[in-house]
Amino acid sequence: MEERRYLQGSGGSQPLTALELVDPDRLSLFRYGVVTWIDKDGFPFSVATDFLLSENGEILLRKPSAYPTMMGAGASVGVLFNHITGIPTGGYTDRRYMLVWGRVSEDKGFLKLHPEEVSEWDEKILPFDKLCAAAVPQGKKYLESLQPSIDA
Amino acid sequence: MKAPSWVQEVFEHYLICEFTSIDNGKPVTFPLLFFYDNNSAKFVVTSSILFSRKIEHMKRNPKVSLLFSNPEGSGVEKHVVLVQGIAKIEDSDLDHAWERYLPMWRKKEPYIDGFLAAREQFAWFWKRIVVEVEPRKILAWKNGDTSKAPEAVSL
Repeated sequence: MEERRYLQGSGGSQPLTALELVDPDRLSLFRYGVVTWIDKDGFPFSVATDFLLSENGEILLRKPSAYPTMMGAGASVGVLFNHITGIPTGGYTDRRYMLVWGRVSEDKGFLKLHPEEVSEWDEKILPFDKLCAAAVPQGKKYLESLQPSIDA
Repeated sequence: MKAPSWVQEVFEHYLICEFTSIDNGKPVTFPLLFFYDNNSAKFVVTSSILFSRKIEHMKRNPKVSLLFSNPEGSGVEKHVVLVQGIAKIEDSDLDHAWERYLPMWRKKEPYIDGFLAAREQFAWFWKRIVVEVEPRKILAWKNGDTSKAPEAVSL
């Protein structure tokens, strides 16, 4: 499960806006987000939280109790929006996710997310076998990294 | 590990976790199938070489986290549990090392044998790296209420 689509808001000649990065219609199909930052010990710290979409497309995450006050304005986070549907006989289907990186600012009990990059996959748009085919270069790179050096 | 029964249920029955590795200081989170070994109290995920960027991240920085927030398909109530730990990568036998987790995989995804039957067609999908995570800290939010302070679970 890796990226179907990857977009970055800066770096190009014409930076993308938040609404161009994150499709609010697709985002509204998710029920909650998982916010992740790096904690003081250097570990990832993730917590699930509800979110709202404002009329002008702003992503407002309900501030979790664990969010550290020392993070301050403009802290970098990653937010995963993920969906699966359980199958009664076991397992799951209907996989889709959207991973948004950006900065957050506090706003009346919410963390307002300012998206900078997004990576997403929806198996109904890109079936898993096609996702695998698209990922062959990464597989090749990993296999090559395992080869012993042939330098004399 | 001295986990309350509701935390143990999450580890034993949730289908997926939200797994985070660190790429040059940036958290990278993907939903992953996981396995929990009750005897060793360690967590395992496996990754195809096709989707191995997270493995490259962990080789540079083994600090990872697993969040359990989605009870969909598990038959248990919603709780939220965070595990922070150190990842150990096993990639010396891509074709077989992961097979010891097949019984647990089959319980979570009974249809996996259909994919296994097409092993040749998806050859590189079945070249898999094993990641074992030793927990260093566990925090848990009963009933998934993350507006409240979490409980720390003794390791």
